[in-house]
Amino acid sequence: MLMPADRETVRYAPVAPLALERIVRSPSSLIDNLPVGIYTCDRNGNLIQFNRRAAEFWGRSPDLSVPFTGAVKAYEPSGEPLPAERTAMAEVLRTGKPVRDREAIIEKPNGERLTVLANVDPLFDEQGQLVGGVNCFQDITELRRMQARVREGRQVGRRVMEAIPAAIYTTNAEGRLLYFNKAAEQIWGVAPKIGEQVWCGSWKIEWPDGRPVPHDECAIAVALREKRALVGPEAVAVRPDGTRVPFMPHPTPIFDSKGELIGAVNMLIDLTEQKQAAAQQKSLIDELNHRVKNTLATIQSLAAQTMRDNEGDEREFERRLLALSRVHDQLTRQAWVWADFRQIAHDSFASYGGTANGRVSVSGPSVQLKSRSALALAMVLHELANNAAQHGALSTPDGHVTLSWRAEPQALFVDWREEGGPQVALPRKRGFGARLVERAIAHELGGRPILDYLPTGVHCTMEIPLPG
Amino acid sequence: MSSTRLLEGLSILVVEDEAIISFLLEDILNELGAGEVRIAGNVANALAMIDSKRPDLAVLDVNLGGDRAYPVAGRLKADGVPFVFTTGYGKSGLDTRWMAETVVQKPFTVPMMAEALRARLRR
Repeated sequence: MLMPADRETVRYAPVAPLALERIVRSPSSLIDNLPVGIYTCDRNGNLIQFNRRAAEFWGRSPDLSVPFTGAVKAYEPSGEPLPAERTAMAEVLRTGKPVRDREAIIEKPNGERLTVLANVDPLFDEQGQLVGGVNCFQDITELRRMQARVREGRQVGRRVMEAIPAAIYTTNAEGRLLYFNKAAEQIWGVAPKIGEQVWCGSWKIEWPDGRPVPHDECAIAVALREKRALVGPEAVAVRPDGTRVPFMPHPTPIFDSKGELIGAVNMLIDLTEQKQAAAQQKSLIDELNHRVKNTLATIQSLAAQTMRDNEGDEREFERRLLALSRVHDQLTRQAWVWADFRQIAHDSFASYGGTANGRVSVSGPSVQLKSRSALALAMVLHELANNAAQHGALSTPDGHVTLSWRAEPQALFVDWREEGGPQVALPRKRGFGARLVERAIAHELGGRPILDYLPTGVHCTMEIPLPG
Repeated sequence: MSSTRLLEGLSILVVEDEAIISFLLEDILNELGAGEVRIAGNVANALAMIDSKRPDLAVLDVNLGGDRAYPVAGRLKADGVPFVFTTGYGKSGLDTRWMAETVVQKPFTVPMMAEALRARLRR
């Protein structure tokens, strides 16, 4: 019965026609050459016949009459031992019913294991009595190994996706969600149901101006519709708890080897930190601009006051500018948060011979002043020193200035006393210095200044509140 | 109207926390003929001064040592007193609610201040 079909193969077989005739007439040689193992057992499970391939798979030519299988050892696919009485052959001989595609692992005497797929059929005699069984089994070791490799590859791919700090999700061609990683869940604030949500997993999306993004206008919908990769546009994911995450989508359509659209992958870049940095930078620039403009207005005012009171004495203006510059230096050293009053007190004499020449006594503790108080007090003390140098105790060789202070939790008390200078008369017109003491201490700092023109010399006390 | 008579007889409230800058404003307003210039260094003082006498015009520094002058602006608006803001930030430094108000950018000159006040008084 094999003859007619096999005649076709004659042309390709490198054997003489007569030799082939002999081979195909012998059924056992045909069966030996099949790529599957075949063996039969009698009613009691004794092995009665097997082909060459079966012996190869078993790794031996077993004695006939071993029960149910020729393998030395057998195992379930899980690795559990499989006793001969529980093999597919044993089952068929017990039930009389065929077993299809039963997977098992068999072990050769050298320890090598094969995964096999068994198909066992019962054999019946003319009376319909069960007389035995035939097992036709194939080696699927390589197939299983490749499947495991593909599975492992997929798991590695998934682990890589999970490890990537960017939010990633995939959809099928209709936009239905197939996969998303932890970072995507983080942005959305929810774990959407796979296969249910379309286009993306977020709860709600808005444009940066707060308008809602219509579902079919989100970036991945456009990428799928137009079959092209996109970058942006920027949008905001609104989480169920109300928090908002600005992000930049990067959707890319995916095609199969035939060029058919099969889905898309979208990567979302969280822009939160970027936005915060930009906002922080803007606020820093605003603050810088404010300070620069205020300083310019201060210098403008100093110039105008000098022009008015001192007929535009250039040196006077420069000394005021330097006083402002010195307190800026002190504040810059402490990140513009505070400056030490002791340093400010010493610096106020810098343009008038300093504090080391015996003409000036400066004493008091270190006191941290906020930037506003530091600026105001530095300018006030400079004006007092300036006045002393021009009209007061520092204008004669014998004069002396004592600057002392003490700090209480709520206030700083400063005492400026001039002695030994020329006799003091009440000035005809209140100069810049006197006006500054009044306005800077009382108006600007909310303190209490007292400026006395005693005959022996100027005496100025100032109480400056220290914010808690 | 010449610049020197722009503010003639008007009582003006200046809200400026920095003493040295307040001198400059005082000089500029006096140069423009102001009848009276009162200086407040913070929001509370400014409100108290408005309570004691309603000014005819006000010049408000937006940033008062960390506080904003908006409560004073709100009070002046309610009382129908015209005012201008002064600021180093420019218009972008104002809260949206006050964006429509006249702003004089620091540092300022007499012509700049005169221009802004004239525009504000005409409105």
